Amino acid sequence: MGYSTMGFAAGALLAVHGGVSWPVLWGAVSSGLFISGPLQYLFVDWVKTSLAIGSVFVVVLCVNFRYCLYGLSLLERFKGAGALAKFYLIMGITDETYALQMNCRLPPGRPLRTYCLMLTALDHLYWVLGVTAGALAGSLAQSVVSPEKVQSATAGIDFAMTALFIVILVDQCRERVNRMPAIIGGAAASAVFIAMAAVFGPARARADMLIPAIVSIVALLLVFRRRLEGSRG
Amino acid sequence: MDKTGYLILVCVGVGILSWCLRALPFLLFGRKGEPPKIVAYVGRVLSPAAIAMLVVYCYAGYVQASGPGLRVFFLPEMLAGVLTAALQLWRRNPLVSILAGTTLYMTLIRIA
Repeated sequence: MGYSTMGFAAGALLAVHGGVSWPVLWGAVSSGLFISGPLQYLFVDWVKTSLAIGSVFVVVLCVNFRYCLYGLSLLERFKGAGALAKFYLIMGITDETYALQMNCRLPPGRPLRTYCLMLTALDHLYWVLGVTAGALAGSLAQSVVSPEKVQSATAGIDFAMTALFIVILVDQCRERVNRMPAIIGGAAASAVFIAMAAVFGPARARADMLIPAIVSIVALLLVFRRRLEGSRG
Repeated sequence: MDKTGYLILVCVGVGILSWCLRALPFLLFGRKGEPPKIVAYVGRVLSPAAIAMLVVYCYAGYVQASGPGLRVFFLPEMLAGVLTAALQLWRRNPLVSILAGTTLYMTLIRIA
């Protein structure tokens, strides 16, 4: 399953390049709580650079904002579920489970809720297992050989995160309506980074660029709202 | 090396924030109703914009890695990125695209 493979890579990355003492534990905890591919890769970057917690939260907000729209179309389906089941169903909303749940043709009611729960639990399980196994493999490799050797042998593997975002971006840009927002996001982020790098140097500019970038992106998206909504058809 | 406090903060904080975001419509529109138009709009356009920003953020990290020879102008990063995007456009298989892009990158930084 592609799900577990992506998780495995993120877990291995955390163990080898994250500089964390208990990568298996933190891999399991973070994947269990976040249930998100992009965040799992960003997690490695966060712990490696100790990114400011404010920036972390702002990124999470933006990357996952779309999930609050998914919830809207799932309201009807989750109706009547117990509090605990509902809590878990909400926690497990992802692009994949959402797509499968919306495609399910069962009538609303008990069988549908059971189906949704099973789906969420299985996706969740595969994801956590993938990340944990990856972290375990990464740790084992380091203790069998040596951390330095594993690190130099796998240098550059962190490009997987960049590649993941490129893949998501390409898929999003298949839909015409997403192209202008993507261009605005990329252009605004580049402008903010270049301006900040000129003043503070590239390292600090990268660490501090996210909040100013998001603020300017949201402002631009609101300014161009009419044009962007007009191009919907 | 001791990052335990930071790790707990990130895991718990991001965990709670993620849940709240996913739960927002259930808490706000539990009975019936539609989201305000502005929320629907931002929800639709923010995701591609944020992902594009994260691509830039990734590349920003390569600025210091650029240097003489092959590494000038992020050549390895750019080539690997182009390969990833092209494969994804063509084959639509995320695993293949990511694996190929990362392998090319790892090879290029070794010969550069």
